[in-house]
Amino acid sequence: NRMKRARARHKPCALKELEVTVSELGLGYESDETVLFRYCSGTCETAVRNYDMSLKNMRLKKKIKKEKVRARPCCRPLSYDDDVSFLDARNHYHTVNELSAKECGCV
Amino acid sequence: MILYEILHSLAGPSSLSDQDPHGWRTPVDCVRANELCAAESSCSSRYRTLRQCLAGRDRNTMLANKECQAALEVLQESPLYDCRCKRGMKKELQCLQIYWSIHLGLTEGEEFYEASPYEPVTSRLSDIFRLASIFSGMDPATNSKSNHCLDAAKACNLNENCKRLRSAYISTCTKDISPTERCNRRKCHKALRQFFDRVPSEYTYRLLFCSCKDQACAERRRQTIVPSCSYEDREKPNCLDLRNLCRTDHLCRSRLADFHTNCQVSFQSLTSCPGDNYQACLGSYAGMIGFDMTPNYIDSSTSSLTVSPWCSCRGSGNMEEECEKFLKDFTENPCLRNAIQAFGNGTDVSLTPKNPSPPITLATKTSNESPPLPDDINDSNTIFDTSVITTCTSIQEQEQKLNKSKEPSLCFSETQLTTDIMPDQKTFVDQKASSNQHSVAGILSAVPFLLVKLAL
Repeated sequence: NRMKRARARHKPCALKELEVTVSELGLGYESDETVLFRYCSGTCETAVRNYDMSLKNMRLKKKIKKEKVRARPCCRPLSYDDDVSFLDARNHYHTVNELSAKECGCV
Repeated sequence: MILYEILHSLAGPSSLSDQDPHGWRTPVDCVRANELCAAESSCSSRYRTLRQCLAGRDRNTMLANKECQAALEVLQESPLYDCRCKRGMKKELQCLQIYWSIHLGLTEGEEFYEASPYEPVTSRLSDIFRLASIFSGMDPATNSKSNHCLDAAKACNLNENCKRLRSAYISTCTKDISPTERCNRRKCHKALRQFFDRVPSEYTYRLLFCSCKDQACAERRRQTIVPSCSYEDREKPNCLDLRNLCRTDHLCRSRLADFHTNCQVSFQSLTSCPGDNYQACLGSYAGMIGFDMTPNYIDSSTSSLTVSPWCSCRGSGNMEEECEKFLKDFTENPCLRNAIQAFGNGTDVSLTPKNPSPPITLATKTSNESPPLPDDINDSNTIFDTSVITTCTSIQEQEQKLNKSKEPSLCFSETQLTTDIMPDQKTFVDQKASSNQHSVAGILSAVPFLLVKLAL
């Protein structure tokens, strides 16, 4: 079982989806309407670039000390889904943009 | 495409002329009929004459002219006279313009009810009713608390196409343009039309006709079309004025005529609907959304299901009676109400088995009129439709009583099977035709169904 969990944690970066209510999104809207929330999840081990390795080495050699840097690629949306509209509990319509991921990648 | 060519080669050149020797016309859409007419010099010149006759003149003045009268008589024999249009077809507006260019000259013009320029609805109504019934009976434990309109919104949000077009009309219809004007009504209507034209009815009808037990649900249902922009207005016009406005627009006029054809109260049927066809009525109701005659629920009450266009009969003068009659086709229409309730409850038409004649005549009529165009193959499955309902619903009803888990697809495919194979069901194709070419067409058109069945 631990093996399975470990393998799941090492899945490459990909799009996943969840059915959630608008209220659960925590954006301050109160609505029981269900929307599809797509997000990016997975590792980016295979996407390590020379940039990342060099940056890591610069940090190890203390050439970069104080700045905040990220020396690993990160699984993030490359593009976002179209707008999502919904009716809230007070019967007002709202439209939110860039709510859901459309395409993922290691950036 | 191949089927189309085969049918035409079988039918021979006679089907392209005005009429074949058996009085059997090729039913074509008006765009095609116009092309056929244009290819014939006598037809095209008469058609040109008639259009000139009609331009800017009323019917009586026109008929006083002998040349106009002759043109009209000749055109009544041409394929243009019988032609119809399809909802959401390519060149729909052009098709309707051709239709009305002839029919405004044939009818009295100011008729109360006008015939629909659209082909009769022959889609498989049981399919969407079945869907509705599956959803409404989905979760018996939470049934008392469930909100079908919320479920419908969920179903739409989880479908890419429905979600996209719903968000498109909602964002268009809720966009403020200036402090004085709430929204761009024209754009809102257009976005609504796209939603109802391009999203399958199993999604749109569920949003529009969901059944409600509490006010929150009914208010959500009322809000479906964003009434603050698409429906309400500063003033409520007189209904007859609104009708006249609608009749100046070919599309609005056609959708209204379609509503009057399919939702007109019929005393000969059990459901009060013409041909007991709920689907046709719901479809033509939804077809008016996004035009001047846009109907909606007048309030969020759960008990009375009242819909109306945004108009009243105030200021009707001596036309009060006609105005009330027009308005009552919306507000007090048992056919429309039954259709909405039946869809919301997931119950279909249940005809008693001893009265099978009305659905069969309907099937006969519609199948004769469906043209052998390539994009029509999927729609021409009328043969098994209405006559099947009885068996299917009775099984579903029994299961509902027994509270068993349902297997409606099995029910449907079985009845499909029997109707497809039953030889007497096919005779409709041969009814008027004396040559065997049409029975060949019947067998050919049955091929797609057999394939569909195999896929099931």
